[in-house]
Amino acid sequence: MISFQPTDEEKEFSNVAAKVASDKIRPAAHDCEQNREVATDIKDELANLGFLSLELPESNGGLELPLITQAQIMTSLSYGDLGTVQGLPGANDAASFARSKENAQLQAKLDGEQTTAFIDVTDADLSLGEALQINKQSSGYSINGLSQPVRHATSAASIIIAGKDADGEAVVLLLDNQNNWDVTDADIRLGLLAAGIGRFSFGQTEVEGDNILASGEEAEKWIRAARSRIYILQAAKEVGLMHAALDYATGYTAERRAFGQSIAGFQGVSFRIAQMAIETRIANHLLWEAAVKADAEETDTWQYALQAINRAHQAVRYVTDSAVQLLGGHGFVQEYPAEKWARDALAQVTLYGRETDFLSQRGEEILQSEKKGVTT
Amino acid sequence: MIDFELSEQQNQIKEMTHWFAENEIRPIAMEAEKLGDVPYEWLQKINSMGIQLNTSSFGGGSGESKGGKKKEREGNRMGVLATEEMAWGDPAITLSLPGAGLGGPPVQSSGTPEQQERFLSIFTADEPRWGAYALTEPEAGSDASGVQTTAKKVDGGYILNGQKIFITNGARASWVVVFATVDASLGKAGQRAFVVEKGMKGFSSPKKVEKMGLRANETAELVLEDCFVPDENLLGGEELYQESDTKPSGFRVAMKTFDSTRPIVASMAIGIARAAYEYTLDIVRKEYPKSGRLFHLASETLATLEQNIQAARLLTWEAAWKADVGEANAKEAAMCKAYAGQMALDVCERCLELLGPAGLDGHIVEKWYRDVKVFDIFEGTNQVQHLVVARRQYAPYGVKV
Repeated sequence: MISFQPTDEEKEFSNVAAKVASDKIRPAAHDCEQNREVATDIKDELANLGFLSLELPESNGGLELPLITQAQIMTSLSYGDLGTVQGLPGANDAASFARSKENAQLQAKLDGEQTTAFIDVTDADLSLGEALQINKQSSGYSINGLSQPVRHATSAASIIIAGKDADGEAVVLLLDNQNNWDVTDADIRLGLLAAGIGRFSFGQTEVEGDNILASGEEAEKWIRAARSRIYILQAAKEVGLMHAALDYATGYTAERRAFGQSIAGFQGVSFRIAQMAIETRIANHLLWEAAVKADAEETDTWQYALQAINRAHQAVRYVTDSAVQLLGGHGFVQEYPAEKWARDALAQVTLYGRETDFLSQRGEEILQSEKKGVTT
Repeated sequence: MIDFELSEQQNQIKEMTHWFAENEIRPIAMEAEKLGDVPYEWLQKINSMGIQLNTSSFGGGSGESKGGKKKEREGNRMGVLATEEMAWGDPAITLSLPGAGLGGPPVQSSGTPEQQERFLSIFTADEPRWGAYALTEPEAGSDASGVQTTAKKVDGGYILNGQKIFITNGARASWVVVFATVDASLGKAGQRAFVVEKGMKGFSSPKKVEKMGLRANETAELVLEDCFVPDENLLGGEELYQESDTKPSGFRVAMKTFDSTRPIVASMAIGIARAAYEYTLDIVRKEYPKSGRLFHLASETLATLEQNIQAARLLTWEAAWKADVGEANAKEAAMCKAYAGQMALDVCERCLELLGPAGLDGHIVEKWYRDVKVFDIFEGTNQVQHLVVARRQYAPYGVKV
């Protein structure tokens, strides 16, 4: 039955997350960005609440929550500050690999404390400059080159690499020895500055035995399933940021006066607020739909995940830019949060896939399938 | 629980209405447009099958207890599911289907039990009949508070004078819900809603208008010249307006109607968009190259359209769901109407772009483009919907925009 009503449990989780977001995350956001690190008390509180291991399987000490529940929690947390949330330690995106397929070696490595980075080289041909190369050898794989910038490069104790080797075969690899890589100095200025964004450098790093988690068709399916979950969770964070920017801009324009009246009284302002509200709601609903489909393990989850992340990317750019615009000069200065949110939004969408590519992938599937219409 | 699966009953109505749209509506769509009317014999046949457009009575439970278990009301959700399918067949024919149409919701929500019985029970299988809704005037459209049609109290009823325009099924309707003011100086508080019946002295329809689209559907001008309407046709009766002396009751009836009808109108726009998308997809699959520049153009366009259609549908479902569970839905109703109306126009335009010049010659997509434009206008223009959303957005700050 069509319903938009969260369960009581989901509401409780969201309320707790919203309180941490308003009491701890939002007030510390500026400092976290300046220090390029999330404050310890925030990390501790979220770890105590179990919010760093929502996606991890119970066997890894995680909460193993459905995606629809996680989506609501991540939205509430990111309402505080996306940049801070993206800097939180833990398994992060790698947890979605543990959640998508049982793998003893991976599960032995992941927990809510140790930070794992994720390098996605599925579309290695889209990399600019020196690309990361995975070459198959008689005893395993060798990794060479420089990764694209990824989150948690500066703090990762382990890395999941998912992508294709030089022969085009899919592979999922685990690196769990910090001596196997270097982290290059990255000149990151745009946003998500507390997220430890950097590049990994590899010099013929060998990956053998149990650290080859999957290859071939098995790896391909696993990567798609994990990426679906990652996209949904990232979309949830973007929706949280949209809500923050929308509410802040609404409050600001309600109070700000010009030409003898609240600027909300000008339709150029109020209509933009209305459009921001509509776009935020759309992104939220496509997110929820994708999460529900993923939880039900429906075969077309990937399609819904692509829609969710594509729309979230598009909407978060629009909504955060609108917030800067509506604040006028105040939107451009760091005393107000809008400019940081716009920077964070753009860094986020840059890290997590190209919007046109999402559409292109989905469009090819539409044209190749026999299916008629828009799925209900 | 957040859920996007259709209930058994919702699935049934969706499948049934889709079958009807595909087999009965779509085949006559182009011919009806050319005729500028839906053939009466067809309407008789459809009506005798019990198929009508009653936007306020799709059933699906009333929220009352049955056998000890409370059945969740789902009429609004069933309504938007059904109208999406019917409009997918063809919007002009859907709007021409017999039934209370947009006149149904105000009678259902604000009429007395006697009025509900009297006006809603006429829609039987023996003969096609219509209801209509008349708010718009030459000088008042989306601004419902600016209605200039007057209602002067006289012994036993009211004398109505004024003009209504753009009234769907207005000339053929057995009755029309007409908004008028008893005292213009009272503003919204002076407004009343009347049910004016066909044949009442002084009530006429001098003109049917020619339009950009929806040509098979009747759009009429109505004139009220010293038209006497008895007290028993004042919607809700005198009591409704006395009880809420300080509230703008007639205006409230109009606004409440919008909360029910905007999701229905949005779902029709979605149905049109989906029809255009599917029609074009079928041609692109057959005719377009399988790689290269045009293939990439088509794949990105179609993915965008698919996503936008689904986005509008989810907004609409939410508005309907809120109405079913008894939550205020004015903001959501405006959101879905604002987005769906514009989205559907864009979908039709981009489908025409994919069809290229051949799309001008006998392809139904260009008709749907002409049809769909008004969905961004009637039941409140896109700009009015933005105003409604903005008002709700600023309400917590005490700022009225």
